[in-house]
Amino acid sequence: MTYAHGKHAEPKTFLSKYIFSFDHKVIAKQFLWYGIFFLLIGGLMALMIRWTLAYPGEAFPVIGNWLFPETGGVIPPDTYSMLFTLHGTIMIFYAITPILIGAFGNYCIPLMIGARDMAFPTLNMLSFHLAALSGLILLSSLFFPLGGAAGGWTSYPTLSTLVGSPGIGQTLWCMAIFVLGASSTMGAVNYITTIISFRAPGMGYFDMPLTVWGLWLTAILNAIFIPVLGAGVMLLIFDRVFGTTFFLAGAAATSGTGDPILFQHVFWIFGHPEVYILILPAWGIVSDFLSFFARKPAFGAKATALAMTTISVLSTLVYGHHMFTTQMSPLLTQSFMTLTMTISIPSAILFANWLGTIYKGSIRFTSPMLFSLGVVFVFGLGGLTGLYLGTVSTDLYLHDTYFVVGHFHYTMAASVLLGGFAAIYFWFPKMFGRMMNETMAKVHFWGTMIGLNGVFFGMMVVGHAGMHRRLYNPFVYEFLQKLIPINTFITYSAFVMGFAQLPFLWNFFHSLVKGKVAESNPWEVGTLEWTLPSPPVNYNFEEIPVVQCGPHEFGNPNLPEGKDFQYQTEKLVEA
Amino acid sequence: MKIDIREKIQREEASNIGFSVAMISWGMLFASLFLAYALYRFKETAWPPMGFEKVSLVWPTTSTIIIFLSSCTYYLYQKSYFMKQVKSTKFFYSVTVLFASLFLVSQKMLWATLHDSGLYTSSGIFASILHGFTWVHAGHVGIGILAILFVIPSVKTQNIGNEKFRIRMANVGKFWHFLGIVWFLMYLTMFVL
Ligand SMILES: [Cu+2]
Repeated sequence: MTYAHGKHAEPKTFLSKYIFSFDHKVIAKQFLWYGIFFLLIGGLMALMIRWTLAYPGEAFPVIGNWLFPETGGVIPPDTYSMLFTLHGTIMIFYAITPILIGAFGNYCIPLMIGARDMAFPTLNMLSFHLAALSGLILLSSLFFPLGGAAGGWTSYPTLSTLVGSPGIGQTLWCMAIFVLGASSTMGAVNYITTIISFRAPGMGYFDMPLTVWGLWLTAILNAIFIPVLGAGVMLLIFDRVFGTTFFLAGAAATSGTGDPILFQHVFWIFGHPEVYILILPAWGIVSDFLSFFARKPAFGAKATALAMTTISVLSTLVYGHHMFTTQMSPLLTQSFMTLTMTISIPSAILFANWLGTIYKGSIRFTSPMLFSLGVVFVFGLGGLTGLYLGTVSTDLYLHDTYFVVGHFHYTMAASVLLGGFAAIYFWFPKMFGRMMNETMAKVHFWGTMIGLNGVFFGMMVVGHAGMHRRLYNPFVYEFLQKLIPINTFITYSAFVMGFAQLPFLWNFFHSLVKGKVAESNPWEVGTLEWTLPSPPVNYNFEEIPVVQCGPHEFGNPNLPEGKDFQYQTEKLVEA
Repeated sequence: MKIDIREKIQREEASNIGFSVAMISWGMLFASLFLAYALYRFKETAWPPMGFEKVSLVWPTTSTIIIFLSSCTYYLYQKSYFMKQVKSTKFFYSVTVLFASLFLVSQKMLWATLHDSGLYTSSGIFASILHGFTWVHAGHVGIGILAILFVIPSVKTQNIGNEKFRIRMANVGKFWHFLGIVWFLMYLTMFVL
């Protein structure tokens, strides 16, 4: 067993270096590959969904005939249900979570707080291997008779019980989620402990970069709420495999039957915090980057950290807003609505601080900065449209329409995805010792940004016009037929967004081998990881650093000529 | 490997914090089950639901006594370990393993009586809860037994009293007592009340 401060000899064999590594930097890269792999699969699924909505009954181009030979390349209805189920599951649990939390949580926490590794390296390694196992279980479900899960990413009973989903796919889905939950909980235990116990001497909580704050709060929410989902899917497995009736109503007798709605409670007690689990790391990263590239101290950094904390606390109390249409008592719906609205207050503080940070800054429009500004924009839109869904009267109309889909893609997909790209462009030089190409990055940014706004804004429009989500062919309804052109537009935008990822992929893999060699601090930033060579050596710090100032010391007028930042290891320059 | 004082303190602290967080996670797992149970139960006009009878308390009570005794013997094992009493350390450790295994036997008997009284897993929500929740708990007891076996090196005669097992023993103990408390709550809410 190795501990954060123990230094061990460097691993020699391929297996101990790349597969069974205890090094948080290697585990971070494993999660990054894993996340990008699933991002591509989930993205392809999204394009197939969009194709079906724009051209119902037409063969999917290029690979359609190979994937669905029996229908001549047309995506069949049951496959369509599988596609939207697995698209959601994969993007949330297997793409965004591993990239932001698995990869950048692992990479940034020890480096940014001045530790040599995570508190429990063995647990860390186990966490990745469980995630890999979970991914295998999920993908394998596609190859069984009747295929993978098709009850939506929320897996509501009775859709997800044997009544609605016969076959083994849904059971494997539950098992995959349970295993992944165990993996994430292990990660959370590690992150929380590492941040509490292994901060470098001199680093108080408010001297931590906001990235670490975001990851820390995420880990806390993970540790508390993932087990709730775990309990839910476990009972669902019991129902499916052992014949219990937790979520089956009316099956046995007039009294003593189960309750499908209970799963919704359990799911959303976890599910609402999950939204923040995903967005908090992105918020932290963006709060840091805006300061780094505006060359100004983060405006109200303490307030930003506290606002994120307040949001985390409030996020545990609002889950009922997902269930306004389940015949809850009006007293409950109104309480949940009020609590939901309260979240606007800390969110507004956070948002105002972002604007305050870039106001009058000497902004450097590098790729991480562009993506961060993108997050500010799309998160603003996503947050504002959430108000209509948190309000009972408007939610009753908008519930289960494409408005919901557009809204949560703006918050969870667009913001988190752009935040993830910002992080990749920013830390790539540190991780791999080479720079990514800035021009390509900008092409990637604008393509993604234009595409995603076309897709997600379009979704909100068709949702507002009454188009329901999860319909195989909405245009069998006469009142939705006039929405065909705008659905076609959304699909075009989706293809723009999809193709905009090609320059990213080329850039990523090309830069890995051919990129310009990175200096130790290409972005001129003062946090601890940039005091190290790129990439850092095994066990990071030869001597544990002593922290003397905060992470955002930019533009101090007392700094010597030609220097506009200082390292956290340097004493704050005073007149 | 160089270990300074600061690092030793950090390690101990980390182990404590890490384990406490893990216990919170486990606590939430069981808390969710209890929440589900409460909702099912308060929805019903009568409990057990019509057509079912209360489960005999014989085996649940036996389980409660056994798991309580195992927690006591684990405590005594820890105590005699640090007082370097070789014989009683070995005795109390073995008795703990024995009791822990007996707990699973008593659960097996409980499941048998449930079947005898017609409470199969598929006999509605009452039976679902009795079976499902005891399975989850028993699964954890299985993990708990593995955890207890994980401290077996501490009962080697030359190791007894050694500080280096302190954290491991304490964490396994916390987990085991936690399972005892969960069982006691299940006993009270599912069988007695
Ligand atoms: Cu919510």
